[in-house]
Amino acid sequence: MSPQKRVKNSQTPKRTSRHSNSYQSNLLAWKLKENLSNSKSISKHGQNSTVEDSEHADADELARDALQIAMRYFDKGPFNTPWNKDKTLEKHLKTVENVAWKNGLAPEGIDILLNVALSGKFGSAVNSQILRCMIPATLISEDSVVKAVSWLCAGKCCGSTKILFYRWLVAMFDFIDRKEKINLLYGFFFASLQDDALCPYVCHFLYLLTKKENVKPFRVRKLLDLQVKMGMQPYLHALLSLYKFFVPTLISISLPIKKKIYFKNSENLWKTALVAVRQRNQGLSPEPLKLMLGPANVRPGKRKWNSHSLIPVLSSSSHSKEYGKEGMSLSDYLCSNTPFPVEQLKSFLQLLQNIHCLELPSQMGAVLNNSLLLHYINCVRDESVLLRLYHWLNQTLQEECIWYKVNNYECGKEFTSFLDTIIKAECFLQEGFYSCEAFLYKSLPLWDGFCCRTQFLQLVSWIPFTSFSEVKPFIFDCLAQLFFTSTIYFKCSVLENLKELLQNWLLWLSMDIHMKNVMDNSLETTLSGSMKSVFELIHYVGWLSTNALRLESNSTFLLHFVLDFYEKVCDIYINYNLPLVVLFPPGIFYLALLSVDSSILNQLCYIMHRYRNNLTAAKKNELVLKIKSEFIFSSKTYQEYNHYLTAMVGCLWTSKPFQKGSYFDPEVFKKIGVAKYKTSLNLVHHPALLSYAISFLLKEWTEERTVNLSSIRGKKWNGYLDYLFSEGLQGLKHFIQSSICHSSVP
Amino acid sequence: MAVLRPQDQLPGLNTATILLVGTEDALLQQLADSMLKEDCASDLKVHLAQSLPLPSNVTRPRIDLIVFVVNLHSKYSLQNVEESLRHVDAAFFLGKVGFLATGAGRDSHCSVHRNTVLRLAQAYRSPLLFCDLEVDSFRVSMAQRLVRMLQVCAGHVPGVSALNLLSLMGSSENPSAEGL
Repeated sequence: MSPQKRVKNSQTPKRTSRHSNSYQSNLLAWKLKENLSNSKSISKHGQNSTVEDSEHADADELARDALQIAMRYFDKGPFNTPWNKDKTLEKHLKTVENVAWKNGLAPEGIDILLNVALSGKFGSAVNSQILRCMIPATLISEDSVVKAVSWLCAGKCCGSTKILFYRWLVAMFDFIDRKEKINLLYGFFFASLQDDALCPYVCHFLYLLTKKENVKPFRVRKLLDLQVKMGMQPYLHALLSLYKFFVPTLISISLPIKKKIYFKNSENLWKTALVAVRQRNQGLSPEPLKLMLGPANVRPGKRKWNSHSLIPVLSSSSHSKEYGKEGMSLSDYLCSNTPFPVEQLKSFLQLLQNIHCLELPSQMGAVLNNSLLLHYINCVRDESVLLRLYHWLNQTLQEECIWYKVNNYECGKEFTSFLDTIIKAECFLQEGFYSCEAFLYKSLPLWDGFCCRTQFLQLVSWIPFTSFSEVKPFIFDCLAQLFFTSTIYFKCSVLENLKELLQNWLLWLSMDIHMKNVMDNSLETTLSGSMKSVFELIHYVGWLSTNALRLESNSTFLLHFVLDFYEKVCDIYINYNLPLVVLFPPGIFYLALLSVDSSILNQLCYIMHRYRNNLTAAKKNELVLKIKSEFIFSSKTYQEYNHYLTAMVGCLWTSKPFQKGSYFDPEVFKKIGVAKYKTSLNLVHHPALLSYAISFLLKEWTEERTVNLSSIRGKKWNGYLDYLFSEGLQGLKHFIQSSICHSSVP
Repeated sequence: MAVLRPQDQLPGLNTATILLVGTEDALLQQLADSMLKEDCASDLKVHLAQSLPLPSNVTRPRIDLIVFVVNLHSKYSLQNVEESLRHVDAAFFLGKVGFLATGAGRDSHCSVHRNTVLRLAQAYRSPLLFCDLEVDSFRVSMAQRLVRMLQVCAGHVPGVSALNLLSLMGSSENPSAEGL
């Protein structure tokens, strides 16, 4: 904190109603002086002011002068006869408005205007006009806000102005340079909840401002009273659930967990302006770091980031005050208990050394582009950090989502790259964000299944682990509706991403179980719950796949994706150490077994081989540990597996297909003209392997004129097997070696 | 002025006919154009109507799928659809009716709540699709989906019936654990 700023602070509380005090005239004097000296960039408070660029100097000069005069007018102007001076006022307002929407206003300008707007010197129409054009060039100083709040106490402005002010605060929250002093006024804001008209906006503001230490029993009581008075309003609900999140013990009432959107974004008057500010802030920035671990990512200027990206750039307020000085050593940082600005964070080592005093950026979204900060977020225990990130993500996703702005959906590219960045961050953290899940709830029903398909489906694959049946109506039912009416390519990509989802859940669960094992013994109940959820997911995919294959007339292409999914499923017990074995539905098994594609058959053999390994491992553990686990290893699973196995061996090896279970009347085969149906599905005659058998015969016995397939038996059969294996049918090899006793060569 | 029945006429050879009902003439026309541009093995026919009942003195092919288009920005459009639904035979609701809500993207313009349409679709046990028909790319992908539905409803996808597809699309009907 610079000495001058400190002086400012000490004055702030004393300031009540007069505006011609020393600080403000200081400011203006400074501004004028600077204007005269015509300096191009000012970094007095670490921010660049509105005025820059000498390129279109003349026009700028004029505009700047006009702004100067307007500012002076607002600052101390002749208000004695305000209504006579209507013309002048109008002119000055226009000037300010133009500059604000074009370039934004400097922190000093905002300071002056806030003062004017809330001091009630003009009518409420003028006040609201002023408030509407208060768009920061880059940042807003905290002190201006504190001062403005003090005006609210003076009771000089009417209700609508107050409402507009709170809306402005909410919209600009990210651009306020620091929030400590504002947080000190928490009690005041909280008291404003009494006002019925203000309540929704104050709630939203408090939602952004609340920290854990602000949650007090008396506030909780007050909120609950309000809720009784006003009914279950979404904004009160939001604040209550935030309180509950911070201090669960204080609030015993149950709140619905999954709530979509608490606050309406459509009320944001400054939307377009905010985008401009964000872009402006980006322009001043260094290159964002690539998502990578280690010092390799420090080389600057290597990569050109999309300049119109929606993600703000790292900036912490204290930057370039004390710590900006070059030549300060690391030990200096360590000794001081002052926060370490994130812009200077360049290496993992630095992160480790400063982890206790890291000051997070004023705009939380900036962390998405910074791998080091993602590390920090990953390990920090402070929930409010994640909460801020989630809140920012929620807002941005909703505001930028293409199908909510039908009019100008050209920004589709921007949105796509934004989603890409989120997904990259999720991959990096190996963890899904809850705000993305909430976004999916809201937007999946409206999705056309085409635009941003890759990104959307990837978001699905990063849904954090939850109870499947709980999210099913929101996500998976909508997905099913799209799935069944879309093209085969869409179906394949859905299956691919559901495989990813399964893998993410399994990884998360296997980690979670190891951690829980150490901590508590209540594992049993939660584990069976989680296993149930995974089981339901697999079951759902099985249902999707069976029906998709029917709709797409048993397409081999689709079947590949289905079997890919089951390649994950069959190895859950061994690979993830989770007590779950789920077999595929018959609709998939028989399709694969009777497929004309050798790679499908090969994949099926591999999956059966892995199932066998998993089931035997499970059985062995059961015998060793002497505990019958209540999980999915019912005898039914084994029976089902054995049934499949018999069918496969009967078809491929012993030439006795479908002896048990499904029985076919031999008359049927006679009718359709397959006399020797028994052998027609064995390794030689199987439609998928027939071509192998023929080329085997042609290769080994080149002189033969006719090809006699039934001659492959005995020794020749073994040779044929070796030939098949050498052709790359490794799955078949594993299956035969593990499941078939070799003495039984026919 | 008769009630529309699915089995009134014999199906035409390799023909699939869809009837789009809604007050938004221009949008329906565009949607129909997009559908006809789709590459499809069946012979596609698209009929448009402002409302039901259809005039009875015209010969028309058998209708395989009726899609009611509701514009969420206009209460009248919803009323019109509700009126028209009375002139549809119950047998149609075995998978040959769909609802399409347009305009959901612009929340602020909506005068009909999404849940109202959702309830309507649930009451008639029919699928509800959302799509902003004003946007070209969305309309094209919706046309694609409708064509696929139509092919099933016309019986051109072997092994799958309209009722079957309906049961797959219905969100309330969950697959039971033993159902496979």
